[in-house]
Amino acid sequence: MIGALFMLALRQAATRRKIALLIILALLPLGLAVILDATVGEAGGLIGPVLEGLVISVTLPITVMVLATGAFGNEVEDRTLSLLTTKPVPRWTIVLAKFVATVAVAVPLMAIVAAVITAMDADGAGNAPVVAAVAVSVGVVAYASAFTWLGLLTTRALGFGLVYVLLWEALITSFLSGTRYLSIRSYVLGTAHGLNDRAFDENLTIAMAPALVGAALVTVVFFLLTVRRLSRMDIQ
Amino acid sequence: MTGSSAPAVEVQAVSKWYGSVVAVNDVSFDVYPGVTGILGPNGAGKTTLLSMMCGLVKPSRGSVRVLGEEAQGNIGLYRRIGVMLEHDVLYPFMTGRDFVRLAARLQGMNDEEAVDRAIHAANLEDAQHRPTGTYSRGMRQRIRLAGAIVHEPDVLILDEPLNGTDPRQRVEFGDFVARLSGQGKAILISSHILEEVEALADRILLVVSGKLAAAGGFHAIREKLDERPFQVRIGASKQREMAAALVALEAVESVSLDESGGIEVLTRNVAELQRMAPKLAQDIGSRLYRIEPLDDSLESVFSYVVQR
Repeated sequence: MIGALFMLALRQAATRRKIALLIILALLPLGLAVILDATVGEAGGLIGPVLEGLVISVTLPITVMVLATGAFGNEVEDRTLSLLTTKPVPRWTIVLAKFVATVAVAVPLMAIVAAVITAMDADGAGNAPVVAAVAVSVGVVAYASAFTWLGLLTTRALGFGLVYVLLWEALITSFLSGTRYLSIRSYVLGTAHGLNDRAFDENLTIAMAPALVGAALVTVVFFLLTVRRLSRMDIQ
Repeated sequence: MTGSSAPAVEVQAVSKWYGSVVAVNDVSFDVYPGVTGILGPNGAGKTTLLSMMCGLVKPSRGSVRVLGEEAQGNIGLYRRIGVMLEHDVLYPFMTGRDFVRLAARLQGMNDEEAVDRAIHAANLEDAQHRPTGTYSRGMRQRIRLAGAIVHEPDVLILDEPLNGTDPRQRVEFGDFVARLSGQGKAILISSHILEEVEALADRILLVVSGKLAAAGGFHAIREKLDERPFQVRIGASKQREMAAALVALEAVESVSLDESGGIEVLTRNVAELQRMAPKLAQDIGSRLYRIEPLDDSLESVFSYVVQR
């Protein structure tokens, strides 16, 4: 049953239009990395501004937001959700299928982008590309859970999500150090720094242990909130 | 199926409101095996009532029990009920067969014969391998119906199932529903069209403005509807003389002149009025231009029943 739900969720997530949009989003930082590499070419010149400043701060959350808010949001909008909720399927399995489908599409895309940009940098030797891929995958999982919930909560999930990403994740947590413990971006940076402290700067980060605990908490809490919401909401 | 004396669906003192809007207001009824029609104009609260029976909408007050169990939050109940809601939704990238197969899988069934039976019942064998995005409205209704019955439920809840179907499909649907009813299943069908429900249902629940206006056999409801006075507009020269002549008729309850120069007549016997009006016009030397009903809409019929 979960397999059928997952395949359905994957088919709904990976529409041609969405995939095209996500590829464009992924190509932007890659293109910028190529230009910077050709013109500046100094060590850390790509990991700092492009990977941490653009990919982890903007591309990653927006990519996951596009996929995750639509996981339930599109079904609420086109009213297909009732096709699932009138079947003897535990609500948590529906949420899990949507969540895993989002992760399955976003992780390869973001992991490749992060690994390639890191590999292009002179500091990105050794295991740095793999570390970058792992760190952004942690971010994908946490963001996927949070944005899946947001998509079920409101029809304006993309708008609220964008405000959250640009205001909270990209701006406020960059200046107020205490808020970093409540930032998925900091969890990603903390994980990367914890796994490779030579390639990834310790600025703006928290230690790896609280970063992983934070990411796990965000994932579990928003997953449970989504299940609760799906179980209690009126569906017409 | 439950025993013949036990109701399949029990709706007790149910109300549902959204903010200040009351969608359903203190409605109670039981549904037994057989075909029950929920009849009412658009916006009467039929879909909200059915959604509460499906457990998709939580009542603000009261309780809904299906097959003896609470409907709300009871996921296991969906093994015994089949649901087809009003919205014309499918997954357009799936073939018809894949859609029914998915419905079966989500019921925990891996039974291709059950899929075959459901598709056969919906009479869609020829189109089953086409993407549902290429289906006509009637075909989409039928494949959704196949998805709702693939697990052979005891209770079938169908919201406006005849939308978009042609006359031949309606006859086939009627036969299909009659077969299920003969197997002792309880089938609930909503419609805003009196004739649709008349052809299908043994019992009718008349819903107007969120309230249960009447319940019973079709003929009892029909008689009640037939008692209502009709509003008719008559266009004639010598309006005042014509109005005076009309008000003397036994079939006429009241007469008034409207702003456009017409005569509005309230009558319980339209046929008698149509027969007598030309004769009266001739007697007083008036010319008769037209006789037209003003309020033959279903809404006006329902409104009358509720006011009583």
